[in-house]
Order: sequence, then C-alpha cells, then structure tokens
Amino acid sequence: MENISTNTNTNENEFRELWSSYNKKLNESLTLNRKNTEDLTKIRIGSFLASMSPLKIFTILAGIIWSVIGDVIVINLLNTASPFFLISAGIQLVLTQIAIVIYIYQLVIIHRVDINQPVMETQRTLARLRTSTLWVARILFLQLPVWTTFYLSAEMFENGNVMLLSLQIVVTHVFTFAAVWLFTNIKFENRNKKWFRLIFDGKEWTPVMRSMELLEQIGEYGIEKEAEGKGV
Amino acid sequence: MNRDSQTFLNVIESNKGIIYKVANTYCRDDDNRKDLIQEIIIQLWLSFTKYDEKYKLSTWMYRIALNVSISFYRKEHTRSRISAPLPDDILHIKDDSSGGSETETDVVLLNKFIKELKEIDRAIIILHLEGNSQQETADILGLTATNVSTRISRIKQQLKQKFINLKTQN
Repeated sequence: MENISTNTNTNENEFRELWSSYNKKLNESLTLNRKNTEDLTKIRIGSFLASMSPLKIFTILAGIIWSVIGDVIVINLLNTASPFFLISAGIQLVLTQIAIVIYIYQLVIIHRVDINQPVMETQRTLARLRTSTLWVARILFLQLPVWTTFYLSAEMFENGNVMLLSLQIVVTHVFTFAAVWLFTNIKFENRNKKWFRLIFDGKEWTPVMRSMELLEQIGEYGIEKEAEGKGV
Repeated sequence: MNRDSQTFLNVIESNKGIIYKVANTYCRDDDNRKDLIQEIIIQLWLSFTKYDEKYKLSTWMYRIALNVSISFYRKEHTRSRISAPLPDDILHIKDDSSGGSETETDVVLLNKFIKELKEIDRAIIILHLEGNSQQETADILGLTATNVSTRISRIKQQLKQKFINLKTQN
C-alpha cells in the first residue's frame, strides 16, 4: 500500500496511475479466443430480456383461460349459487385480471427496453420491471380471504355448528387482516424489515430485491440532479 | 462501418479490455465472470446493427457492457448456458506468477474496493479510471457532467478511506 498516499488531499491521479498499470498488465496477458467469439455470433439466440417473455406469455394465457372459465361459471350460476360464492369468485376473478394486466405491462416493458440507451435510463426501466413483480405478490395475498368464504351458504349460518362457525369467522378475519396488512405494507420502503426479508427470501426474489436497491441508488442521483438544477 | 461478423470480431479484439474490466467489476467469481463475458458479447453482437456512429464505439460498448452487467443475475441467465454451451473462456488471462510487488498489491486492493461500491458508483469510477472525460461518462450513464464530477470526488474519497483503514489495521 505504499503507492497510495494516506493524505486525503494528495495527488488526484494516483488511482488513475494504478489503473494504468492494471491496463498495461491486461494488455500483455489478455487474449481473445476468436473462434469461440465467432461461434457466439452464429448461435441463434434472443436478447436476455426476450428470454423472459415466454414464461410471462404462458402466465398471461393461463390467467386468461382461468379468468374466462371463472367468468362463465359465475355468469351461469348468477341466479342459483350462494351470494358468498358469487362475491368470493368475483373478487378472485377481478384480482386475477389485475395480475394479468401487470404481466401484460411487464411484457410491453420487456419489448421496449433498449440496452443501447444510457445506463441510468435502462436500469430504471429494468428495475421497475422487476419490482412490478411485487404488485403481483400483493394481489396474490389480497386473494387470501376469498378462499375462506367461497364455500359458505346462508344455511350454514342458520343451522351450522356454533363452534365451527366461530372458527370460520376467526379464520376469515385473520386472513382478511393479513391480506390487507400485507397488501399495504409490501412496498419498497419496507424492504429491509425482517418480515419482508422472510417472505421474499428465496433466490428467485434476489433480482427483485437488488432492483429495489438499484432504484434507491437511481433515486439518489435524481435528487442530486434536482439540487444541481436549483443551484444547491 | 461494415456490420459483418469479421468486423465485429475486430471490434471485440480491439476493445476486449473494456469487456473484461466491466465484467470483472460486477462479478465475484470466475464462473460468473465467464457467463457474464459471454452474455455481454452476445448482446453486443445482437446490437451491432443498431450501433449509432454518432457515438464513439467505446461509448456504445460501455453502455451495453454496463447495462448487461448491472442487470445480470445468474439465475435468470441459465438459458444462455443451456442453449449456448460454450467451451472454454472467450477472454483468457495468462497466469502471472511474478506478482507481489507493491503496485500489483494495490491494483488488487483497488479492484476489491471498487467491487464493494454500489453498482452505479462502480460504473462511474471505472469510466473515470479508464480515462473518459466527465462529459463522456455522463453520456454513457445518462447523468449530467456536474453530477459525475461530484460523484467522482466522493468515490475517490471513499476509496482512499478504505486504503487508509487497511493501512491503519496493519
């Protein structure tokens, strides 16, 4: 560490000098395997973003099929089914349709992202794309209570077992509270909370978590840019 | 400029250092770096026809290399290894056992400390150390030159502090 001065006001170029020596060494030792590079240009392969599309398209199609079947069932049972079933199914279908809209939005972004554009612009779009996945999670949680009510009927309340009904009411209330609480609290600001990290712990959530951190960094630059504009 | 594969190979050959240094800054291990280098080259090739000659070639390369590196998450890129099984390294670095001088140790430390910075700060400092002007750095990143200038000073202070802390510990 003799080359780096410990005086914070000394030569501004010392890092550049170090980097030059790194460059010099790389120039001497770095070789390109032209054959492998040429092979890469012959592989029929899409952009890494386009590779995310098939799964989203599949999810959208599956969601549309589920939604259409659900709509047909609800419409056909409109006059005969229990109001509990109709309302529960209706809520579930509306939430599914909102999730489909989010997936379509993601698909549109995927096809709009241009990695030739400046880094901040591209990264902001990509980070928003990934963090919008959180919306899908919020909506999935919001569905929780309807899975505890769709099978209820008026007869169950008139002739049902008091203990079972009490249990039913407690479970539905707990699920409703949990759903609303999670829906309102799953957001960027809470990303460092323990419960948040616990829910989004898996590897598949790593890109989303990192994207949130990146959005925060991008936000910091936005604030600095605004401050510059105001001459701060 | 021709947009054929031979021209592309020559462009990559002349600028291989950019790809290696950016990939190295955003990767922790060799396997990851190998995948990232492959992904960067694929994206450069896919974008080669879109290269706008009003920008310097290096500006275009930095933008793509940084955009791919910052958004590179290994789990999402398993497809590249499945559908494009490449043999050995594309960029190979010769083993050098002569290392160990003070400068070389500092270079290793500098790289280590840069890797500890936040993603955007890493991009700024690499572009600065690579000799890009503040305006060029701003164009690559989509920031203002003033913004870049302020950040460079802060990052340099952070790096210097890391060297000082290490020296104090020893």
